[in-house]
Amino acid sequence: MTALPGKKGLLIFLGLLALVIVISLAAYQMTGQMGIEERFSHAVGLDPGKETVEEGGGWFGLSLEGSPLLYGVVLGILAIGCYAAYRHFSV
Amino acid sequence: MAHIHLEDGSFTLVWVVVWWACALLLIGISLYLVRPVQKSDNRRITVAAFCTAAAFAIFQISIPVFGGVHMNFTPLIGILTGPAIGSLVVFIINILSAAIGHGGWSIIGANTLVNIAEVTVGYATWRLLKPFIPGIFPRAGIATIAGLLCGNVAMILIIIISGVQGVNQGTAQILTGLSLLAAVNMGVAVIEAFVTGMIVTYIGKVRPDLLPGERP
Repeated sequence: MTALPGKKGLLIFLGLLALVIVISLAAYQMTGQMGIEERFSHAVGLDPGKETVEEGGGWFGLSLEGSPLLYGVVLGILAIGCYAAYRHFSV
Repeated sequence: MAHIHLEDGSFTLVWVVVWWACALLLIGISLYLVRPVQKSDNRRITVAAFCTAAAFAIFQISIPVFGGVHMNFTPLIGILTGPAIGSLVVFIINILSAAIGHGGWSIIGANTLVNIAEVTVGYATWRLLKPFIPGIFPRAGIATIAGLLCGNVAMILIIIISGVQGVNQGTAQILTGLSLLAAVNMGVAVIEAFVTGMIVTYIGKVRPDLLPGERP
């Protein structure tokens, strides 16, 4: 085979996306609206507990998993490490 | 992205040890493979550091699509750093995620295997498609879809093989439930594929030397 000319690669990508979207929406219709943990518990047959749908919480519907304080601390350390690597290796 | 959202105690101790052992074996192989990189290519190490920080940051955020989903850009990590360094990156992210309370410690081994599958398949697809699809954006997008699909398959296989403690459902019911879950997850892969395509395209324009196999 040779390289696909022009926009054929993009068309294949978009076609793949369309297929994935259709399958995903169909699965979503079958399972209904659930939070991520609840959806997982439901899938394996565990008691989902008290979790509710996560949509609408946090900023613009976004919410944070785990401890926000530790998230900030770890992210800060990683950012410092990135800066140090960037400077040290002169990328 | 695929991630096993189960608490500690969901897998039996035997399977926790098995998945941890498999993950550590792959991490050991990755460490062996990246030894020469430490001396010859500092750019990849720096890119890996940025990938770790960015993927950790985004992975902890639940996005309000389909009730709440995560992205973690594992195929992007694979494209930018390769499967060996990428495996180390996802292992670190899983440990840090458990450290802040996102995911159980006993599931880290299984989740690392899932993410290594995403990294490796994403990278392999990215490289293998190059002769047929030279365009960076569609190739990165297709690599992302392929990587995340394989990650979901790995997640299903691990859960089916291990079984989940305290569950009375049969294997067929669990397989059906997880297949639907994976299908919903793949909806988010569409967003991740677009974002990955745009990021890789941007890097390809401004710093093509940071893309393995695309260097001028």
